[in-house]
Amino acid sequence: MVEIDAAGRTTREVNRAIRQRIAESCKEVVLRNPGARHNLAVAILEDAHIRIAGSAGYYCGGLIDGPSIEVEGSAGWGLAESMLSGTVRVHGSAGSGAAAAVRGGTVVIHGDAAARLGVSMKGGIVIVAGNCGYMAGFMAQKGTLIVCGNAGEAFADSMYATVCYVGGEIANLGTDAVIAPIDAGEAQQLEKILSTHLPATLRSTKPAAADFKKVVAGRKLWNFDKREWRTWQEAL
Amino acid sequence: MAELQNSAIFAPRVIEEIQAKAESGLYAIRGFGTLRERRWPTFDDLTFLPCSLTRIPLEGYREKCSTKTVLGTRFAQKPIQLDIPVMITGMSWGALSYNAKVALARGAAAAGSSNTTGDGGMLKAERDNSRTLIYEVLPSRYGINIHHMRMADAIELTIGQGAKPGTGGLLLGTKVSDRIAEQRDLPIGVDQRSAARHPDFLGPDDMIIKVEELREATDWQIPIFIKLGASRVYDDVKLAAKAGADVIVVDGMEGGTGASPAIFQEHTGLPTLAAVCEARSALQDIGLYGDVQLIIAGGIRDGVDAAKAMALGADACYIGTASLIALNCNKPMYEDDYRAIGAAPYACHHCHTGRCPVGITTQDPELMKRLEVEDGAERVRNFLQVMTLEIQMLARSCGKSDVHHLEPEDMAALSLEASAICGVPLVGTRKVFGH
Ligand SMILES: Cc1cc2nc3c(=O)[nH]c(=O)nc-3n(C[C@H](O)[C@H](O)[C@H](O)COP(=O)(O)O)c2cc1C
Ligand code: SF4
Repeated sequence: MVEIDAAGRTTREVNRAIRQRIAESCKEVVLRNPGARHNLAVAILEDAHIRIAGSAGYYCGGLIDGPSIEVEGSAGWGLAESMLSGTVRVHGSAGSGAAAAVRGGTVVIHGDAAARLGVSMKGGIVIVAGNCGYMAGFMAQKGTLIVCGNAGEAFADSMYATVCYVGGEIANLGTDAVIAPIDAGEAQQLEKILSTHLPATLRSTKPAAADFKKVVAGRKLWNFDKREWRTWQEAL
Repeated sequence: MAELQNSAIFAPRVIEEIQAKAESGLYAIRGFGTLRERRWPTFDDLTFLPCSLTRIPLEGYREKCSTKTVLGTRFAQKPIQLDIPVMITGMSWGALSYNAKVALARGAAAAGSSNTTGDGGMLKAERDNSRTLIYEVLPSRYGINIHHMRMADAIELTIGQGAKPGTGGLLLGTKVSDRIAEQRDLPIGVDQRSAARHPDFLGPDDMIIKVEELREATDWQIPIFIKLGASRVYDDVKLAAKAGADVIVVDGMEGGTGASPAIFQEHTGLPTLAAVCEARSALQDIGLYGDVQLIIAGGIRDGVDAAKAMALGADACYIGTASLIALNCNKPMYEDDYRAIGAAPYACHHCHTGRCPVGITTQDPELMKRLEVEDGAERVRNFLQVMTLEIQMLARSCGKSDVHHLEPEDMAALSLEASAICGVPLVGTRKVFGH
């Protein structure tokens, strides 16, 4: 394990130091004094564990492929945006657009997520232990989006093939979002995901998998149809 | 008997349009770009003032006139170096066929120029065949892949397009084939409406952070372009420069498209002529003219349009539609197939159907075969080279040893409006109107 102190260094220097350590085969990097700085640990392409000992700003872990990143505090907008693979875990809460456009990997947020969680996501698994803000899952294309707490307004609006699960209440569904039944096999799978990715103490406070609501696209926006005019008019 | 008279307001075309909307319940979607007669000032409202006694021309066919074009000198470690100032714009694999993408890449490379990915990510064959590849990052983020970004020679962060500023891309279900669906992570056959806003930033202030992220992701090596659909160009260009762009692309309302609502193509945005003038003033007013390079797009047809855009302040031009025409778009061949989609040679704007008769804007393997990559690449190369020769001829006649030395002073306006917009004197006067 190596430690890098971000205090007094530019973001460019910090990221270069992280990359250099990883290139030197260091598998565990701890970043001290992150100071909620933007663009920490972006575009890391190696299998290494990066622990951010504090909070991070925008785009933490953006564009990564492979590493596991842990933020001990909270994270700003665009957490892990466009990641291909790897894991990003936030112990606190995440700002808007967490897991935006991710194509793979896993994002786990122990606290809450703000607006537009998983917007345009294209794959992967996104788990929020707490609540999420409005328009989560907007235009989401593939992958799995799980919110253990409550979901804000316009949930799962204009989705393609992402499957969402909500443990608490949904303020309201977005255009073309529909509730679908969860069968036993699916509940089992959901449980497996939750118990794999959430610490046991956190998992135990959340609803049973079978009690989650499943939300998918009603597919009315997939192809234009004049009979669905109202849906299109109201589409966000 | 008096002749029967059509209404000028409810002209036959308007009647047809209303009845089509009444029938289909959908607004018109099509490709190509604005079809209207241009009643607004265009590059045609300018004329060059070559040397006579007050200036000395360079020998037309002999003396050196450099066309070397360097873009991204502001922050990037490795600015782009092109042999010519005409570049192939971003057109998605999805809107375009595989063969079209590869032919454009190969043609551009052969001419010493660049090509750009598009709203669907990078095609490996595109990278393999290009010399300089610009990687677009669009609101949809289809196909976004850090490894591809790292292979690119520049990144273009797209905020909007001239044909449809303020709205996202469209790819109708007929073109969302299995390969395209896979590349974009979409279900096969959906009418794909891309996002208009980026998913992870909203305005110019957080875009500053986004630009920094892209730089960090590519270690500050390659230039970052910001592409704008021409709207409030003067302010937008300042904001893009503030966000840290190395290069700003402004795409005027004449800009082409693979598919968009027709009303956007006809009734939104600033014409390219006005856009280049506003963009130049914006950069001048913040003291970054020359430091931030400017690329102009939208309806550029030949070296004349390009030379005029450059004289007004552009460092380079992007061409889209003209490059497709070089690939045989709208050529009179396979005429039955034009008719089958309700088009005709010279009057085809049916890229949205996915049934392009000449194999350019289709995902149908049989139609695509009609565009032979090697031939297509050759025509693209020839066309880029001819455009460059045209720019050089005009530049030499204006006494310039470098095409980038063309300046507003080399032109006069043929209309009052063009004089006011471009800040050049109206022909027959020594006055710049409106200034
Ligand atoms: C078939 C086609 C597809 C296009 N696809 C994209 C795209 O994916 N991304 C983008 O930013 N612009 C796209 N554009 C717009 C072009 O990049 C460019 O702005 C425009 O074509 C310039 O105008 P011109 O066609 O008159 O040269 C497309 C244009 C055409 C004709
Ligand atoms: S010929 Fe093909 S590329 Fe040209 S306008 Fe028609 S469909 Fe589009």
